[in-house]
Amino acid sequence: MLADRRRRRLTDAMAEAGLDALVIYGNAWQGDYLRYATDFGILEGQALAIVRRDGHITLYLDSPLEADRAALDCPGLEIVQAPDFAVEAERAMERMRNQRIGAAPWRLIPRRIGARADDLKLGDETAFFDRLLMHKIDDEIAAIRRASRLADEGYKVFMQAARVGRADYELVAEAEAFFRAKGVPDNFQIVGVGGVEVKGMAPPSGRRLKRGDMVTTELTPCIDGYYAQICRTLVIGDATPEQKAAHALWRESMEAGIATVRDGVTAADIAKAENDVFRKHGMGQYTTSEYTRVRGHGMGLFADSKPHILEDVTTRIEAGMALIVHPNTYHPAVGYMVLGDGVAVTEDGCEVLTATPRELFGVAG
Amino acid sequence: MRRGLMGRDETELPVAALEARLERLRSALDAAGLDALVVYTNNVRPSAVTWLTGFTPYWNDALLMVPTTGAPIFATALSKRVSEWIRTTDPISEIANSPKPGALIGQRLAGDAAMRRVGVLELDTLPTGLADDLAAAAPAAEWHDATALFAGLRRTVDDVERKLFLRADAIAQEALRQAEANAATDAATLSGLVEQNARLAGAEEAYIAIAPDLAADRRFNRISRALPLGARFAVRASVAYKGAWVRRARTFAADATSTEADRWFDRAVRSLESGKPLTAQIAAKVKELPGAKLDSCMAESCTGSYPLSVVAHLRAPGNDVVSDGQFLVLTVELSLGRAPWIGAAPTIVGTGAL
Repeated sequence: MLADRRRRRLTDAMAEAGLDALVIYGNAWQGDYLRYATDFGILEGQALAIVRRDGHITLYLDSPLEADRAALDCPGLEIVQAPDFAVEAERAMERMRNQRIGAAPWRLIPRRIGARADDLKLGDETAFFDRLLMHKIDDEIAAIRRASRLADEGYKVFMQAARVGRADYELVAEAEAFFRAKGVPDNFQIVGVGGVEVKGMAPPSGRRLKRGDMVTTELTPCIDGYYAQICRTLVIGDATPEQKAAHALWRESMEAGIATVRDGVTAADIAKAENDVFRKHGMGQYTTSEYTRVRGHGMGLFADSKPHILEDVTTRIEAGMALIVHPNTYHPAVGYMVLGDGVAVTEDGCEVLTATPRELFGVAG
Repeated sequence: MRRGLMGRDETELPVAALEARLERLRSALDAAGLDALVVYTNNVRPSAVTWLTGFTPYWNDALLMVPTTGAPIFATALSKRVSEWIRTTDPISEIANSPKPGALIGQRLAGDAAMRRVGVLELDTLPTGLADDLAAAAPAAEWHDATALFAGLRRTVDDVERKLFLRADAIAQEALRQAEANAATDAATLSGLVEQNARLAGAEEAYIAIAPDLAADRRFNRISRALPLGARFAVRASVAYKGAWVRRARTFAADATSTEADRWFDRAVRSLESGKPLTAQIAAKVKELPGAKLDSCMAESCTGSYPLSVVAHLRAPGNDVVSDGQFLVLTVELSLGRAPWIGAAPTIVGTGAL
């Protein structure tokens, strides 16, 4: 099983790094470290897991509802449910005084434990864990590949739901229902509806679709905990020449980024390839943080995984990573536009995981 | 993660209501000798900041600092572009963007000599990264846990919040009716139908959990596999509307054994009395239902950053005396002879309903 192989990889890496135990934090927002170690997809409350080098794992949860779920989903774990979950984990760590313990992600470790780092001989092992999260084994890429196929199907459902008069949250409702019925327990999705006044994507606000609106979305369904993303833009009615021209630029940029992806380049190289297309068209200012966040990011157990694709991120891209390349940003003539495809990095290039045509879609107005 | 309708409507959440809550908080801080309160928020710990400002994060985390005088300061690592969206949901805070929200709030505290004694909601579980940044930027500040102080403010529900609970509950009840129509024979399809119904009705978030065969296992899970539904199953809908969360759970049976328990539960929830222990009240009321045995009873409420957390449990007896105006979600598990039954519903103590 994927979870077993992942756990063995973790304990092997711990042995190699001389770590006796790892303390791992997770919640439904930042759940990737916890999922990697325990295979538990936490939904409510918070959790800490203590992973011993021999593979024994204790999962501390504050929610009794989540403790039930963990017992059903992860029968191999020792589960401790306690309202003061951090206190319980701290007690366990006190009994491990002579051992070398690492913690990840350090910034989210409860203060009660973080404040005793010296006393508990607790070190920040976030970078150690990040390497495991970024460099995936074949089974992890296979899960992302399956999630990508569902992202393609989900986008069709989203597109079919889009029509004049419908509210933005109704489109999301249709996509979510599709995903639940297809075995997708979670999906990250934001949207944008309108024209030049739209500067980015956000949760649905209740805005109703009207003719001429651009509708942007990023769909991020997960399978076995692995998120895959697709970004597409559609127009209610016929696209204007300005919208078509903008989309051609976005496509050129995304394809330049994807063409750069291969083992050995850096995240900055990919971002630069995307941004150079904007600069070539006199649109360089729209690649800055005033208009856009990132030019892509990793895909994995977190919807917004490392590395971020930015010109100042020098992380080496290696075979076994999965990324989305998305030159999403604002265009002064048409508004915020998105286009992005997921890729798996190979030795000499990449495998594009999403198959939805790279079109500016039009739906009946 | 929040994927549904998010947004503030002045008629549902007036600025005056938020200002009244802030005034109650400032009075409580004064009484406790505190100069400010710091509150952490993220996707799963949104509720304290939502109650104070209207803002609920769909992504990332942030800190809110409420001084005893002046506007709250909301510090977030979200980009300035997102500030425009934040402003549509939070009409009262100063919004400050920083890659290090802890450092920003710490600097504000350090820059005001009047702010030395600082309360922190849930101090023990504040993320270490933010706590370190706060402490480094405000080395002279004294940090005090203000969890109990804040829970005291949340002991009674105002009318604005009551209406949001009502709407969330209406969405949850209607969504659960999907299970009455026999439209699905497997848990994943039913889960999708219930969630779709809730989201189409404007739910900000909907977590659907199912116990597909109560005869085999009473535990609920988020199910995304085509598990067949047994003759007796239960569905739980945890639904948020504009930051107000409720849970409803219902048992569905091929026979009519759960109908009488449903009616009993409705009466029991409506008749909770102020000033008496919750679990003892439920244990006494179970005697009104012939052949029923109480297996479990749990009450949740919104007392801090979590939307719902356990405040009373049959297995952990403590001080579970309830009071007028207190919002609770009550979950009860019974054995009706050999047939299991589970129900959950929200209520406000002393009102006979929500």
